[in-house]
Amino acid sequence: MTLRRTSNADEVSVTRRGTALDLPGDDAGRGNEPAGRTAFGVTVVLLLALATALRFGQPERFAWLQNFFVVFGAILLEAMPFVLIGAVASAVIEVFVPASAFERIGRLPTVLQLPCAAAAGMAFPICECGSVPVARRLLRRGLAPGAAVTFMLAAPILNPVVIASTVVAYHGRPDFWVVVLGRFTLGFIVAVAVGWVIGARRPDEVLRKGTIDPDDDDHSPDESRWSRFAGHIAGDFIFMGRFLVVGVAVAAAIQTVIPQTLVAKVAGLPVLSIVVMMALAFVLSLCSESDAFVAASFTQFGPAAQLAFLVTGPMIDIKLSALYAGTYSKGFLRAVLVTASVIILAGTLWAAVIWG
Amino acid sequence: MTWNLRRLLAGAVLAAWAALFWFVLLSGRTGLYLSTRTAWLVPAGAAILTVAALGRLASGRSGAPPPVRRSDLRGASLLVIPVIVLLALPASTLGTFALGRRPVFGVGATAPSGGLSSGTLSMVDVARAQATKEDLAALQHRNAETVVMVGFVATQPGEPSTEFMLSRFIITCCVADATETQVRVVDVPAGSARPNAWVQVTGRIYALGSQVIIDMTSMKPIPRPADPYLTG
Repeated sequence: MTLRRTSNADEVSVTRRGTALDLPGDDAGRGNEPAGRTAFGVTVVLLLALATALRFGQPERFAWLQNFFVVFGAILLEAMPFVLIGAVASAVIEVFVPASAFERIGRLPTVLQLPCAAAAGMAFPICECGSVPVARRLLRRGLAPGAAVTFMLAAPILNPVVIASTVVAYHGRPDFWVVVLGRFTLGFIVAVAVGWVIGARRPDEVLRKGTIDPDDDDHSPDESRWSRFAGHIAGDFIFMGRFLVVGVAVAAAIQTVIPQTLVAKVAGLPVLSIVVMMALAFVLSLCSESDAFVAASFTQFGPAAQLAFLVTGPMIDIKLSALYAGTYSKGFLRAVLVTASVIILAGTLWAAVIWG
Repeated sequence: MTWNLRRLLAGAVLAAWAALFWFVLLSGRTGLYLSTRTAWLVPAGAAILTVAALGRLASGRSGAPPPVRRSDLRGASLLVIPVIVLLALPASTLGTFALGRRPVFGVGATAPSGGLSSGTLSMVDVARAQATKEDLAALQHRNAETVVMVGFVATQPGEPSTEFMLSRFIITCCVADATETQVRVVDVPAGSARPNAWVQVTGRIYALGSQVIIDMTSMKPIPRPADPYLTG
């Protein structure tokens, strides 16, 4: 069965850009089959069984399981409001911003588009969980992929809240300027560079096929703006939220299994220490608004390794990888991982040579 | 216009998350997950999620609604599972399992607080004294002062039964960034300290080299504090 549904917004952008931005809405496979009463019944029974097992099975008897659930709950409670704020911003872009605004940005020369997109992140005080739905919506409204991705990667590092938290965390330390200026400079460079790499792709090569907002495909043309607004918020929240749940579960499991104290053993090794701190940022999946305080606690590591931690985390981590994998194509995830990692490694090695 | 089940399902998921945030807020569990710095996220999340859920449910009617697909059901279930987990499980915190697996609070990472020369000493002050030489020197000037500190008991293999480590976690945003701080308590009646139990210790504090100890004069078990984590 191939229904080839597209939302109204997609049709606008296809017409305007003349590209094949065709997002079939989960059309292929069993997922598109209507859920019958049996499926509803089974789902409710399974969820009730889970609740009963958790309530009466006393899983907190196992210290590692208790540790997992505490970390899992904490990251989710911190991240979900930001996902929702991102969904609201995304819905505003979809419903209230006219398409002509994106056409104007699209007319800027590429050499200006990417730095402008990165700079726009400075005015957007959201962390990485919120920037993904916004970038996705920008892409679907027809913004050039390079600019949307640059914005997505830059906003979690360059926004005022993150600048403030980094300044506070490193205040009074000898490596203050190296880390603070280095974070924003390197973050800016990496965001623009990844945007430049992605910019060569067509929108339909960037967004994952077979996904659509749960609410995007049942809007009638005569529906009110507020109804569409509510629909896009719910759609983005559900779309992003499920990938976030998976990513957070993996991050919490790794935090539970792998002691962070293990990493201290490689602190003295110049290249390996940077690689390990990048890997740690990937695994911990911390919010960019708090990661500076954690980075500052790894004093066994030099400023270059801490810098690597601070630039890597807001761009590539486990929970983000789950969000990227659900939102973008496989090639996109690979391009972001490789490009960002290489530039962060090169930039921080350069910093290590100069500042140790 | 008929009820659109997909919209109602989306509204129900949002309502479930709103309920979780309200539950965490009203049951006083915010401190079990978030620091005082980020506690505002819970009421803010509860309010925004409630508005979003009401908005979706209010627009739940449409003409010729599409059926609910299996993928919708799977996505909704995945999102509801964490809600069930957090609602069903009893309130718990990081404990002795996490000690030694997390970094120690800002050793050398924080600027000297300059606030240890006077005032009531806390576990955060002990952590700062173990982090900077200036604060350690300030704490040494207060050796033998009587302090009252709250934390949970951690014991180590091979440790004398008359000693234990009074432990706390310090968080910046949420439990995921927790770092640990500990102070050794000595002169404890053998067998009186149960691992993971929360206690209030009164005794004289001594900063000896880089280690801080409390020579206990009294100890009483207490319930877990509403804010079990300190904010660094």
